[in-house]
Amino acid sequence: MNKLSALLLWPIQTSERLAEYFLYTHRKLVLGLFLIATVILGWQASQIRPDASFIKMIPSSHPYVENYINYRDDLAGLGNSIRVVVAAKNGDIFTAEFQETLKNVTDELFFIPGVDRSALKSIWTPNVRWTEVTEEGFVGGPVIPAKYDGSAQSLEQVRTNILRSGQVGILVANDFRSAMVQVPLFDKHPDTGERLNYQSFSEQVEELIRDKYSSDSIDIHITGFAKIVGDLIDGATEVALFFAVAFLITLALLYLYSGSVMGTIVPLICSLAAVIWQLGLLKMLGYGIDPYSMLVPFLVFAIAVSHGVQIVNTITLESATNGADKIQASRHAFKTIYIPGLTALISDGIGFITLMVIQIQVIQDLAVAASIGVAVIVLTNLMLLPLLMSYVGVGKNAIARAKRNIAKENSHWRMFSVFATPKGATMAITVALFMLVGGLYFSQDLKIGDLDKGAPELRLDSRYNLDNAFITDNYSTSSDVFVVMVATEEEQCSSFQTLSLVDRFQFYLQGIEGVQSSISLTDVSERVTAGLNEWNLKWRSVSRNQFVINASLAYVPAGLMNSNCSLLPVIVFLDDHKAETLKTITAAVEDFTDNHQVEGIEFLMAAGKAGFEAATNEVIEDAQYEMLIWVYSVVSILCLLTFRSISTVICIIAPLALTSVLCQALMAQLGIGVKVATLPVIALGVGIGVDYGIYIYSKMKTYLEQGHSLAAAYLETLQSTGKSVAFTGLTLGIGVVLWVLSPIKFQADMGILLTFMFIWNMLGALILLPAIACLLNPYGKTSNKVEP
Amino acid sequence: MIQVTFQADPERPPNIKIITGYQMFKRITGSSLLILCSLFTPLSPSSASEQLTSDRLSTSALTREGAEKSLLLSVANTGKRLVAAGEQGVIVYSDDQGKKWQQASVPASTLLTSIKFTDTQTGWAIGHDGLVLKTADSGSSWKSVLSGNDINQLRITALENLLGSMTTDNFTPEQIEDTEYALDDAVIAQEEGPTSPLLDMLFLNSSHGFLIGAYGTMLETRDAGQSWQFIGHKLPNPEGFHLNRIYQLKSGRLLILGEAGLLLASDDKGQSWLNLDSPYDGSFFSAAESDALYIMGLRGNTFRFDDQNQNWQRVELPVAATINDAIVVEDQIIMVGQGGTLLRQKGTGFEPLGKRQLRTFTSLTQVADSLVITGETGIVHLSLSGKEAAQ
Repeated sequence: MNKLSALLLWPIQTSERLAEYFLYTHRKLVLGLFLIATVILGWQASQIRPDASFIKMIPSSHPYVENYINYRDDLAGLGNSIRVVVAAKNGDIFTAEFQETLKNVTDELFFIPGVDRSALKSIWTPNVRWTEVTEEGFVGGPVIPAKYDGSAQSLEQVRTNILRSGQVGILVANDFRSAMVQVPLFDKHPDTGERLNYQSFSEQVEELIRDKYSSDSIDIHITGFAKIVGDLIDGATEVALFFAVAFLITLALLYLYSGSVMGTIVPLICSLAAVIWQLGLLKMLGYGIDPYSMLVPFLVFAIAVSHGVQIVNTITLESATNGADKIQASRHAFKTIYIPGLTALISDGIGFITLMVIQIQVIQDLAVAASIGVAVIVLTNLMLLPLLMSYVGVGKNAIARAKRNIAKENSHWRMFSVFATPKGATMAITVALFMLVGGLYFSQDLKIGDLDKGAPELRLDSRYNLDNAFITDNYSTSSDVFVVMVATEEEQCSSFQTLSLVDRFQFYLQGIEGVQSSISLTDVSERVTAGLNEWNLKWRSVSRNQFVINASLAYVPAGLMNSNCSLLPVIVFLDDHKAETLKTITAAVEDFTDNHQVEGIEFLMAAGKAGFEAATNEVIEDAQYEMLIWVYSVVSILCLLTFRSISTVICIIAPLALTSVLCQALMAQLGIGVKVATLPVIALGVGIGVDYGIYIYSKMKTYLEQGHSLAAAYLETLQSTGKSVAFTGLTLGIGVVLWVLSPIKFQADMGILLTFMFIWNMLGALILLPAIACLLNPYGKTSNKVEP
Repeated sequence: MIQVTFQADPERPPNIKIITGYQMFKRITGSSLLILCSLFTPLSPSSASEQLTSDRLSTSALTREGAEKSLLLSVANTGKRLVAAGEQGVIVYSDDQGKKWQQASVPASTLLTSIKFTDTQTGWAIGHDGLVLKTADSGSSWKSVLSGNDINQLRITALENLLGSMTTDNFTPEQIEDTEYALDDAVIAQEEGPTSPLLDMLFLNSSHGFLIGAYGTMLETRDAGQSWQFIGHKLPNPEGFHLNRIYQLKSGRLLILGEAGLLLASDDKGQSWLNLDSPYDGSFFSAAESDALYIMGLRGNTFRFDDQNQNWQRVELPVAATINDAIVVEDQIIMVGQGGTLLRQKGTGFEPLGKRQLRTFTSLTQVADSLVITGETGIVHLSLSGKEAAQ
């Protein structure tokens, strides 16, 4: 064990000596190198662009998503469309003014690049028609009559045609107070091959439609995936403003804490450098910045500042107690901090790396971005920072203040040292156990997945979700779409056998709780067959005659079959996208396919928003515990190597575990589900939270080895580093608490949870760590009373 | 996110009458003109009826929650029990006047078009693919007694027998030639499989019954379904129009309502049929007798038979919606139809009963002071005053 850990620690110890030697003998050269690197990476960082890709947010190796990717081109248009609703604020849609606006909006959308013009639909487009059966057969025409002139008479004609067109609830609201334009989009333009730029598309729609046509009498509502992505990118960019605020608050706190101008400016500069390096490296590695990794710079900055504080603190103490000069103090601080700092950062990094077990690209990207971030902190804050301090020093005022502080007894720390006595420890641990039980109890309600209606990425009261709610309330289609892909051999998607099996499947689904309705090629065939028979419902069945089927499918709406007729999507509308609903439906589909094995017909899950959510939930549910096991094992092993004592590992890890449980209880109580955004929080919380324990324990160990009793050693530890640990918790908290204000719901959720974890982990380290140490007594020294 | 709408071809100029639905349909399904269809069908999968691993004729109906909310086409009232039938072989029954429903076990899963009982125990249900089901336990469980394959064979046998009995002495060469053509069609129909649906039935007593269906299909049993005869070719229906409904009038006359204004009557319990003059050339779907005989059809075309003048008189309805079914309650007709149409007779006219609903109604029956109506979204209860009854 000792040999092994010695072997493993050897590189760290060796690197310490090498780094120290190199840094302090070639100070100018090193500074020069840092400067050059910062300029190059800064230029790179300035090139980084926001980026949101749908496919990255879903688990690409999940079978559902693999199935979707296989058929992605055939399913094009399924889901990738926006809906623009023009609503009359007063009265209904049957006014000349309203119709004029609707016509203009339709025309305007037609010309926005990326729109599939042939499939654009509103009552003003010629592809929307009414039909009626008469004795002589079908009659029909466009909804807007050719002779439309806005007169009362022609508006009455429009009203009649709308009723006959069957578009009420689809293109016209159930209450006739608004009308919709359906705008299918090209993911990739068929002529130019250009990918749709969601952000600029979203901006154009805002500018050309919402801004231009909203008025006293007209409201515009817009929904659709492209709009969500546009809003996400806008929202994520807004978050950059928070960075500036976090920076200023940190600056103020840092000055209050250190009392030194240089001790404030230098850590901030180095921490900023860490952020710049991280962004620059990401760009060089070909990453963009998405709404998830947008948060990494905050974390990197906060972690960097917290390490910087430790160094500045050590330098100040060194100068105050031993009267060391700038270089000596800096060199000593480097030696003191390097190993615990490096260990802490490595554990941070490994905590982040464990996120890679989750097979969802945005989380893996977040893991990479965060790991790069902590790696650069090693360079900027463990090396560059002491080096810069060796030039500027902390200043006389700070040293004088430190001397005064050492001289006077710190009574508020004595309070905490109570926890290192058996009485206090027992009390603390009893309370902790109660909290653990409470936490376990309240975390029972913890749900997987997104729980709110509408687009869960955005806030419930965001404009997008209000628009979405408007459409859900006034039109007859849900936005929670689950698509089952029925794959057949070529030209068999419309065979009698396929359609009748799908018919049975849809009938079966209709009896599943949570399913509103479903639609597929089968419905088209059945309805048109009834239509060809005078709309007589006694004919609403898949015909056994293939020629009748073919005739019934002469005009198939886009998206219900692919071009070589080997795929037939069944589009299922769900009540909501709660995890239980999704589980029920996936289980139901599996059950059906198990009982209906027909050669040549495969039922594949799943596309559609709800389909991807189902896949994501499954991945997250599995990864949840796997990730916890990984992050705790890795951090424990790291602590074990550093401190070579199982009791020590328990001292450091147990408070973290309590925080994790409490965090889950908090999530359950706040109605935050375990999802793409919140799953990384626990890994981040544990990875970063372990820093406190490592710093405190390594310091305490030094005092214990000097022969102090536990309580005395702990009091010493608190007096020397307690303040900086508390400050670290505060800095980290400030870094993330501002996210709570983010317009993006998941960023706000992450903000709440991370703030909670950082603060609780700090309290855990200050209170529980000594308590557990006292009871487990890893150093075999007893202390029955608090030493003065 | 996805809406599917059913539209005519956008290329076609507006307001131009397109080929008649049923004419087109006839051509497609009419066995002699198969080639024509390939001209306007973009898809032509090879025959899929080769592998019949899960044919709906032999696959039991799925039982599921809320089956009473599926598409239901017909409801029967045995006096003790309500029984309704519809899509996917669904038969549901209720012993508490329609409050709670249970799904019966049915050995097939085709669309069922009509359900009738000859007594409280014995009942019949018919549907697509020529399926005929029978129950002996008030509708709790059903057995398949006949399918379209049997009907195709019965049709061939009937025509072969007829042809065998035909001589130039008693038949004209045209009659013989027509019968030969009819037999050819029957043979082709057999090759196509059980493609045509049965649409309605009538039992005069527990053993003597008639089934009617698409393309002039008609079958008769005189022994409660032990044996069946195909009699479609005996009707004066050379075009093979669909036979939609069959009734026995108070006078004892049998009346068949069909496609394209077809009205057939028999005064000898179905031995011979005559073609009545029709007041209308669209399809009829329903009839009822109150103060007189009323017949109802496509787009609300309704006619009353004036006994004194012996002619049909048009009755104007407040809506131009197809009427699917009608019953008589307290000497007044109540009719239901397309787009939630629900009308009650007043004098010789009709007026809406209650607030108009959106979904098409297909059939109805009276239970105490309320109506149980079937339709696109299953069972609907309405009180006779027009209010939706509490479920």
